[in-house]
Amino acid sequence: MPQVTIDGRVLEFEGQPRLLQFCLDHGIELPHFCYHPAMSVPANCRQCLVDIGAPMRDRATGEVRTDGEGNPVIRYFPKLQTSCSHVIADGQVIHTARTSEKVERAQQDTMEFLLINHPLDCPICDQAGHCPLQIQAYKYGPEGSRFEFRKVHKPKRVRLGPRVVLDAERCINCTRCVRFTDEISRSHQLTIIERGVKNYPITPPGVEFDEPYSMNVIDVCPVGALTSVDFRFQARIWEMTRTPSIATTHAKGSNCFLWVRDNLVLRITPRPNPEVNEYWLADEDRLCYRQFNEDRPAGPQVRNAAGTLEAVSWEQAISTAASVLEKAGAGAAFVGSARATVEDNWLLIQLAEQTGGQVVGFMEHIEAGHGDGWLRTDERAPNSEGCRRLGMTPVDGTMLRARLEDGTITALYVLEDDVIGLLSAADLQEVSVIVHHYHTTNRTLEVAAAALPAAMSAETIGTYVNLDGYAQRVRPAKVIQGASRTLMMQMGLSRADRHGTPFDRWYNETHYINCKPSWELLPAVAEALGAKVPAGGPRRIMEQISQRCDAFRGVSYKAMGLEGMPLPASIQLEAA
Amino acid sequence: MADFIRNPVVALPESDPEPHFSAVELVFTDGEKDEIARRIKQYPTADGAVMWVLWLAQEKFGFLPPEVLRLVASALDLPYAQVYGVATFYTQYYKGKKGKFVLDVCTCFTCQFCGGYDMLAYLEEKLDIQRGHTTPCGTFTVQEVECLGACGSAPMLQVSNGSYVHNLTRAKVDAMLEALQQGEQLPFVSLTLPQDEDEMGGNRRTDAEASELYQTPPASRATQ
Repeated sequence: MPQVTIDGRVLEFEGQPRLLQFCLDHGIELPHFCYHPAMSVPANCRQCLVDIGAPMRDRATGEVRTDGEGNPVIRYFPKLQTSCSHVIADGQVIHTARTSEKVERAQQDTMEFLLINHPLDCPICDQAGHCPLQIQAYKYGPEGSRFEFRKVHKPKRVRLGPRVVLDAERCINCTRCVRFTDEISRSHQLTIIERGVKNYPITPPGVEFDEPYSMNVIDVCPVGALTSVDFRFQARIWEMTRTPSIATTHAKGSNCFLWVRDNLVLRITPRPNPEVNEYWLADEDRLCYRQFNEDRPAGPQVRNAAGTLEAVSWEQAISTAASVLEKAGAGAAFVGSARATVEDNWLLIQLAEQTGGQVVGFMEHIEAGHGDGWLRTDERAPNSEGCRRLGMTPVDGTMLRARLEDGTITALYVLEDDVIGLLSAADLQEVSVIVHHYHTTNRTLEVAAAALPAAMSAETIGTYVNLDGYAQRVRPAKVIQGASRTLMMQMGLSRADRHGTPFDRWYNETHYINCKPSWELLPAVAEALGAKVPAGGPRRIMEQISQRCDAFRGVSYKAMGLEGMPLPASIQLEAA
Repeated sequence: MADFIRNPVVALPESDPEPHFSAVELVFTDGEKDEIARRIKQYPTADGAVMWVLWLAQEKFGFLPPEVLRLVASALDLPYAQVYGVATFYTQYYKGKKGKFVLDVCTCFTCQFCGGYDMLAYLEEKLDIQRGHTTPCGTFTVQEVECLGACGSAPMLQVSNGSYVHNLTRAKVDAMLEALQQGEQLPFVSLTLPQDEDEMGGNRRTDAEASELYQTPPASRATQ
C-alpha cells in the first residue's frame, strides 16, 4: 500500500486523498480556514501550507534514487504547498509546522496578513470561544502585530437577510459562505465584491439572503463575520452546554446540537451526520428552539366540577386519567402522535391493549408543498415513520368523528398532540379527553378532563425514525422538575447542580418545567388502573420493542449511538 | 488610492437603487445576441464570456447598474450574484454613471515620480472638478487609477478604457481636451521602449500599422 511520511510518521493511504483531509482524519491538526470537506477547494486562505518533498527518480529507469545509506533522496517542492489542494502520492515526505521552521514561519506570516485588517473585537464577538481564527491565531499565529496603521473599515451590522447579519470587517474572505450558496444550497445569493483589501461577501443589489438554509453560512463562517440575527449577543459559547439531539420540525430527522444555558434552549446548530443531513440544518429547524422554553405548562391539571382546569398533584391527575379510562373501558380511543417518540407511542399501544381500548391511529402533520426533497419535508413532525413501523396509521378525522357521534367512543387519550383541528371542540363535548401536552397553547386543553404535561424532545430520552427509515435518539438537554434517575444519568451527571458548564451551574430553578416524560406517565396511568405496562426507562422499552416488533429488530440504544442506524426497508416489511 | 490610505473606509453599495433603464431599453438586439452566442462558444462554459458580455453591455448602456447586470446574467444564464461579483472586481467596469470621456490618470509609482499628480491636479483645476467626479456638462470624468502598464512613457492617462495619452505635459492635456471636445477620435498610440527600438526595427506589436511611433527620448523630457 502506498505510504507517506508526515512529520516522520509513516502512514498508509488508499486512493487519492487530499493531504489536509488525510491529516485531519489521522488526528494531525493543520490550521485552515477556507477548506470545508463538503465544498470545493479554492485554497485561498493559504493557512494550511506545508512543505512537501517527493523521492527523486532516475529519468531513464524510473528508479528511486538512493543516497549512500540506501535511503531515498527527497527533493522538496521549491515553494510551500497548500495541503487542502494537494493530492498525496506514494513516498512523499511532508513537514508541517511541527517539524519545519519554514512552515511555522509561513503560517505565522499568513496569519499576520489575515489579521491586518481584522478588528480584533473578540470581547464583543459572538464567535469568540469557538472561532477558528482566534484558536489558530493562538496556536499558529505571530506573537503580536506589526501593523501600526489605520485598519480598513468595512460595513458592519449589514442585514444580509432576515436571519443573517454581516460584519464585513471581521471577514477573511475564505468564500465558504459564497461556496455554500453556489454549491450546496444553490441559491446563488451571495458573492464576494470589490477586490484586494476592500473585498467582502454580500448579496447583489435588490437581492435578500432569505433562502431556507441561510443560517448554515453562520456555522461555516470561520470568523464572526456572519452571525445570527436571532442569537446575536445572547450568550457566550462557554456558558452553554451542547447536547446532541434531533431536529423535530421536519421528518428528515436532521442531527443537531441543543445549546442550553440556565435550563433554556438558546439555539440549535447542525451536528454532522453523513447519512442524514451531512453538515447542514434548515433554518426552521434552528429557529424552533423557543418551543422548548415558552408557553410550557405549570403542572398537571384536572377539570373540576365548575368546568375549569385546576392544578392538582401528579398522583391526582394520574388517578383521574386512570378512572376516566376505567369508566370508558372498550370505549376508550387512543391517539398516538408523530411528535412523540417510538417508545411513547409503543407504550400507548400497550396501555390500549391493557384497557381494552383501541388505538385509532397517530396524528401526522402534513404541510403539502413545504418539502424541498432535501432537509425540509412535507411532514412537519419527526416520527411518522416510527409510528407507521409500530403498525399505526394516520388517524382518519372523518371516521373518528363518526364514531364520536354514534357514541362508540366515550374517552379519548391524546398523546403529546393537539386533536383540535382534526376534530372540533364541539365533537368532543360528550367525551372525556386526556391529553399529554407540551404547551399551554394546545387547544385540546379546552376540552380536556385531565391534562398531563409531557416532556419535549429536549427533555426526554427516546427514538425517532426519519422518513428514510433511519432510527435516531434524542437525549435530554435540559432538566425538568422531578427528573428521574434515568434522565439524570442520561445527562451524564446525577446531581442537578453539576449540570451545565463551569460558568453556568443552573442554580436557578425558575426554568425547570413541571412535566414528565410520557414513558413515565403511561406506565403510571396503567399502574393506577391495575394493569401492567412495561416500565423501566426508554432503553429497556426499546429492548422490548426490538424483540416484539419486526420493524425494529436489532435496534438498541447502543447500536443507534450518536449517529443512528438504518432500519430494514419498509417495503421488505410489507412483503413479509 | 491615496485617499483610501488616509481614510480607509469601504462603503456599502446601495442595496436597492432606482433603476436607470426601463424594461424596454433593457434588451440585447439580435446582432448582439449573435455576438454573445459566438463568444460563449469560445469557452468551455458560459462563465468564460462574462467579462466580454459585460464589456458589450457597458458600451451599449454606458455603465453597469444592477438592472444591466441582471440582463447580462440572464443572457449568459449565470447567477446574478456572480456577474455582480465580476463587475465590482474590475474598476474598468463602471458601476455608476460617468462622463462621456473618462480620464484615468495614472498615479502609480513611475507616473508619480514623473509628475502624475501634477497632471491630475492640472486636470482637476482645468475642469474645475475633484478626482472621481464628472463635469456638470457630463463630458469629462477624472479618475485616479493604478498602473496601466505604460511606465515607459510616464506620466500618462487613458481615455474611457481606450486610447492612451503618453508623456503628458500641460500643453498635451490642453490639446487632448480640445480634441475630445471637438469630437475627434484619439489615435491608439503604442510606444516601444527605447532599448528595444533598434532591435525591433520600430514596434514589436503585431498591429504595428495601426500605431504611431514616437521618437525617444520622450517628448516631455525633450521639452524640458
